[in-house]
Amino acid sequence: MSKTANRSIARTSPKSFWIALFGLLTATGPVIAEEGFLETITRNQFLAPTTLDNGDGNPYAVLVAPVSVGDIEKDDVLVDNFNNISNLQGTGTTIIRYRPGTKETKQFAKVSQQLKECPGGVGLTTAMTMLKTGWIIVGSLPSKDGTTRTKGDGCLLVFDAKGNHVATWAGPNINGPWGNMATIDKGDKATLFISMAGFGVPSFDVIDPQTGYPVIVNKATVLRLELNIPNGKPPVIEKETVIASGFSQRADISNFLFGPTGLALAPDDTLYVTDGLDNEITAIEHASTRTDSAGKGRLITKDGLLAWPLAMLRTEAGHLIVANGKNGQFVEVDPKEGKQLYGYWANANQAQSPPGNGNLFGIAWGPDRKSIYFVADDINALWTATP
Amino acid sequence: MEQKNMNWMKTIGSAILGFGLITSVFASTGPEPFYGVHQSGISTPAQLNTYFIAFDVTTTKKEDLVKLLKDWSDAAVDMMAQPEQFDKNADPTKIPRKSGASVGLSNAALSITFGFGATLFEKDGVDRFGLAKKRPEALVNVPVFTGDQLVPERTGGDLSLQASANDPQVVEYVVRRLAKLANGVAVMKWAQPGFNGAFKAGETGRNQMGFKDGTLNIPTKDVKLMDKHIWVGNEGPSWMQGGSYMVIRPIRISLDHWDDMNLAFQEETVGRHKSSGAPIGKQKEMEELGLKRTDAKGKPVINEYSHSAISSPENNEGTQILRRAFAYDNGITKVNERWPPWRQLTTFDAGLLFMCYQKDPRTGFIKLFSKMAQIDMLNQFTTHTGSALFAVPHGATKGHYIGQDLFED
Repeated sequence: MSKTANRSIARTSPKSFWIALFGLLTATGPVIAEEGFLETITRNQFLAPTTLDNGDGNPYAVLVAPVSVGDIEKDDVLVDNFNNISNLQGTGTTIIRYRPGTKETKQFAKVSQQLKECPGGVGLTTAMTMLKTGWIIVGSLPSKDGTTRTKGDGCLLVFDAKGNHVATWAGPNINGPWGNMATIDKGDKATLFISMAGFGVPSFDVIDPQTGYPVIVNKATVLRLELNIPNGKPPVIEKETVIASGFSQRADISNFLFGPTGLALAPDDTLYVTDGLDNEITAIEHASTRTDSAGKGRLITKDGLLAWPLAMLRTEAGHLIVANGKNGQFVEVDPKEGKQLYGYWANANQAQSPPGNGNLFGIAWGPDRKSIYFVADDINALWTATP
Repeated sequence: MEQKNMNWMKTIGSAILGFGLITSVFASTGPEPFYGVHQSGISTPAQLNTYFIAFDVTTTKKEDLVKLLKDWSDAAVDMMAQPEQFDKNADPTKIPRKSGASVGLSNAALSITFGFGATLFEKDGVDRFGLAKKRPEALVNVPVFTGDQLVPERTGGDLSLQASANDPQVVEYVVRRLAKLANGVAVMKWAQPGFNGAFKAGETGRNQMGFKDGTLNIPTKDVKLMDKHIWVGNEGPSWMQGGSYMVIRPIRISLDHWDDMNLAFQEETVGRHKSSGAPIGKQKEMEELGLKRTDAKGKPVINEYSHSAISSPENNEGTQILRRAFAYDNGITKVNERWPPWRQLTTFDAGLLFMCYQKDPRTGFIKLFSKMAQIDMLNQFTTHTGSALFAVPHGATKGHYIGQDLFED
């Protein structure tokens, strides 16, 4: 669609996109100022189930392999699972590998749920990245009963490119590594940005009498890890810096917990953060160099089309794409203007209310950056949104 | 069955939940024959009640196993031939052979069906009864399908028996009497009673989800179709020729969740209208699905991931199975739902006791369900909690017992 057409639509009506997973809904959107990425997306396509024989489900993280190494080929898609076969959140232990060329899906890695080095055990989260050297780092926010009543602090797990678990990182700065990571990868050095959503989150049944909801705490952080990667050896943490803090968190019986989730790093060293509970996106300046916490950072946008924003991507044009948790929409934001551009129904499954509620989480660029991989938690599957 | 209906059956015949398939629950009360080319309970019109039970064999002696099959066969002959009666000459100092629970009831079209699981032939690498070499290739280990949440307590088994009749007390009595005969030879592994609604004969009944549903998807009187798709022929061992392979899977349905869905979404999920049973956009139940129909925007009229579309033979290279399922309801249970919002709740433990027969499960259920398990819209309301495959040998002739040529050839 041409820009001229867009402007015409922008003056007259919300933009429409056709959908979707189960049923046809119309996208909602405020006034459009210019063409964005989501305008190019027209359809959603099922790719593969993400469950394995061990019954793990509730896919969270999605990443596209940047290199071929070990058992991984460049552009393979890795997806991890947050639930085990009992459907308990915070107990998933597997990473699957989807190969687009062959459409083959198989288990890439598995780790013990009772892993002693990881406080509380293992429940793999949306915090997952793969370095050029082939190391895969993934977060764990574990539970015993599928709720925060038995939540552990968790850890970061390091796997080699053959799926072997080779290291575990835990410590006082690591508590509930949760959302998609932002990564600066220079080969022998790398910097990871990880949201930590677990600090101080009590059981879901600790209720704030004023709201009737679980109590809110404001202890979530964004942690920067600076890694050294010796030749042929697993990465080691050289430095830890909390660069943002004070994000809202609370337990939730359905969503396990709310907290900061999506991270996207811009070339100007601004790190954007989705804050699900406060329903906003903020910006942390000088993300790779700052030595202190920026607090929650500068507010970019709030509410509107955002509905519990989770994982986040940055387009080449500098826009942000977030996956809503409360409905099945992607939302595109121009952070420079602080404007929300489009909402696009990636998952309009009416089996949840509102449609798609709880179905989205991790998102990743397709290899050509013209499509977006996303998980559909309702049916445990990997999908792609394409032009 | 009329030719018109047969053609229609070919079009929509393979669904797991069977929406829209023609029903054949008959209120027959007459006796079913035990002896015959095929065992009873396969092509027998589905009754109102069933009781399935699987056993694990504990004896290591082949002769014990053979004696059990003889005892079961004799008892089945006795129970299927006539209504239960008290033994007028019973010795009051001895335990009665019959409990009397079904005395006064007809045998209600009772059928009894026996099967052998793969573990009867070899278990944990041990050939307990010298049968390992006789295990048919088609008696495979059923793969774990996407979304399976199988529990050991509802999975597998060395032996199976199923009593079906038009009376719940009859089937329960039959199973208890046969189970008693297994004492010291086999132990009960898992069981599941089931039921069908007493809809009018020849009229499509409805399932627990409120949609028209059925039990027969191949006209069982069509010998050619049955031979082609259901009965084992020369390709199988002699003891299986005239037999079939039964897949059984308890499927819990989130009925409470389903009942909260709006009607249009329910119909989209199924691919049929709820009231009429007709394919979406059509008026009559018996009309062909018409999966190639699109709306003005080019969108398929029937959602491509709907149960009807995803299971249709035209999307599955003509695969056909003989579906012979029952509903079940075990009261309530604690469930962790397997979809957002991941509720942990107490709800109905109810759904479908799915059963189907086929000549070869590799080209029947396994082929069909591999795809359905991935993307069928109904999957977000259904959870397969158990699974088993049994080789159901051919029927017995007078003076013989079920499976005799497996053990004596």
